[in-house]
Amino acid sequence: MDEEPERAKRWEGGYERTWEVLKEDEFGSLKATVEEILFQSKRKRALESHGQVRLGMMRHLYVVIDSSRTMEDMDLRPNRLKATLKLMEAFVEEYFDQNPISQVGLITTKNKRAEKLTELAGNPKKHLAALKKARDAACVGEPSLYNSLNLAMQTLKHMPGHTSREIVVIFSSLTTCDPANIYELIKTLKSLKIRVSVIGLSAEVRVCTVLTRETGGTYHVCLDESHFKELLMFHVKPPPANAQSECSLIRMGFPQHTIASVCDQDSKPSFSMSHLDSTSEVGLSLGGYFCPQCHAKHTELPVECKICGLTLVSAPHLARSFHHLFPLEAFRETPLEELPADRFCHACQGKLKDKMVFTCPFCSGVFCTECDLFIHDSLHCCPSCINSQHSN
Amino acid sequence: MASEDELNLLVIVMDVNPIWWGQQAQREPEFTLSKCLDAVMVMGNSHMAMTTTNRLAVIASHFQDSHFLYPCKNWTGGDGAWDGTMDETPNCGDGKYELLSVANNVVAEEMKRVMSTTEMKGNSTDTLLAGSLAKALCYIHRMTKELEAGQEMKSRILVIKTAEDCARQYMNFMNVIFAAQKQNILIDACVLDSDSGLLQQACDITGGLYLKIPQKIALAQYLLWVFLPDLEQRPQLVLPPPVHVDYRAACFCHRNLIEIGYVCSVCLSIFCNFSPICTTCETAFKIQLPQMMKSKKKKLKQSI
Repeated sequence: MDEEPERAKRWEGGYERTWEVLKEDEFGSLKATVEEILFQSKRKRALESHGQVRLGMMRHLYVVIDSSRTMEDMDLRPNRLKATLKLMEAFVEEYFDQNPISQVGLITTKNKRAEKLTELAGNPKKHLAALKKARDAACVGEPSLYNSLNLAMQTLKHMPGHTSREIVVIFSSLTTCDPANIYELIKTLKSLKIRVSVIGLSAEVRVCTVLTRETGGTYHVCLDESHFKELLMFHVKPPPANAQSECSLIRMGFPQHTIASVCDQDSKPSFSMSHLDSTSEVGLSLGGYFCPQCHAKHTELPVECKICGLTLVSAPHLARSFHHLFPLEAFRETPLEELPADRFCHACQGKLKDKMVFTCPFCSGVFCTECDLFIHDSLHCCPSCINSQHSN
Repeated sequence: MASEDELNLLVIVMDVNPIWWGQQAQREPEFTLSKCLDAVMVMGNSHMAMTTTNRLAVIASHFQDSHFLYPCKNWTGGDGAWDGTMDETPNCGDGKYELLSVANNVVAEEMKRVMSTTEMKGNSTDTLLAGSLAKALCYIHRMTKELEAGQEMKSRILVIKTAEDCARQYMNFMNVIFAAQKQNILIDACVLDSDSGLLQQACDITGGLYLKIPQKIALAQYLLWVFLPDLEQRPQLVLPPPVHVDYRAACFCHRNLIEIGYVCSVCLSIFCNFSPICTTCETAFKIQLPQMMKSKKKKLKQSI
């Protein structure tokens, strides 16, 4: 079954003299070396861009969290489960920030069964509430990889073809208890174009390697808590789309937000569709978003209208994803000596003190290191390019 | 009461579009650019006079470039503190706090320099507001990094807008707004002439205030009433109510605002009608055809 060659394992390679990387300066301090290492890792992340590859913008992602006995291990503080749930809260917020029109669902597995914590939804509040409640749950029994993948697959196989279907499994146990042959399930997942990735917390498990290789996902085992966070945040960015995924025009509605006050004579209080199932909230409210097709009221966006099924979004939600489609080019590194003396950074007006400065290839604006990181991580547009575009 | 270690940074972005101000000088001679600058400096001085830890920065937004008026690059006291190394003593003889008079002089000098030395290049006459906001965000980011341990900084940006919106800046503007929202920086807007949809969205998304001033001569009064209090004090005041923001998207083919549209799943372009090919990314879409009805043919044959 496995004809592809395996990667060489870490213990099969030669010695790595990791102590030679650290160098002391004349006072015996390691601060400069540590800062250099951190800076290099930040730059590496900024430079990794996919280029002109089609990305899956509308994603349906299920996260499977292992809640078995091994999650009570205290190698991640305070124990593995609590550390995972805390990182998941940060993940959910970051995910909806980068992919506003996508959906996420949560599944936990313990006692040889799998259970859905939350359904696939586009709103972070429900997921965050469920994650907070799950902190008190006990970790018992063994996980079941088959059952959790099966449960996720039941929902994902009905999703439309133009969306990307993904599952991320956070797997800490070294065993799994499956009712049927998992290799058959892997074949089914592959045929349904579901991409499964695994983040291991203990060690590499063979069945996960096969699972991720066949479905086209990634498999990493975390070394410590910061590495775990890095691996989890890797899944926030939209992945390159499958070659066979369909492209279609999706019908969406852009509702207006009506803010009505009690003194308005025309405004009538009404029930919101988002609160149909909840028993604790007060039902009637004055303002909200009205679906353009059936005029049902909803309190927050993005949402799928419960009455007519139209996807409701607002224009800024789509605008949030534009920086993935039109990514900013990486800036060129030039040494400071090549510039005329006493130059200032074009963005923050600070004096250029670092050894290396960054130049934009389009407009030749010069930026300091901090501004370069800020521009590529958060801003996604070059401040001096905006100015030079207009003079053409 | 704010603690001693909390800094408040206010960045004022002024729109100095020469074409709009030139027309304004002919329409209403009693409200010119220098009067507007006076009102802005009153606001800046008041902000710095509230607490010693408050900081100020002023950016002029032109259609060629954006210039930092204060703090100025050529000035040694770049972080807002006067360290006494200026050539002329800023003593204006009325016992004013020296930092305020220094700030006023620097802003006036730089503004004169900017307006007289900028030349007309190219055809566009729209103000580069997105570029100024991007520079303001980078400046705030640098100031946050230069803080000492234990100090916190809260920042906000006040935009004074005169000319019309430029539709070409939409994407850059939205990127800047989302970056500001992530850094918890408020964007307030004070609009003098025509309503600006982009700034309304910016204020709504970041949590700032949007106000269109009915009488331009009273600019200083509006600035001091509405925009001087910072975020903690705003819930205690009765401020102008939020405006209704139009979040409908504009279709890419006609630029009309639509309520129901079709979105391409690859490039997220919005269209008002179904078309088989996306004009932006040129992908062909699958059209779902209705199923063939075979049984009808038999009925037709029988009736003949």
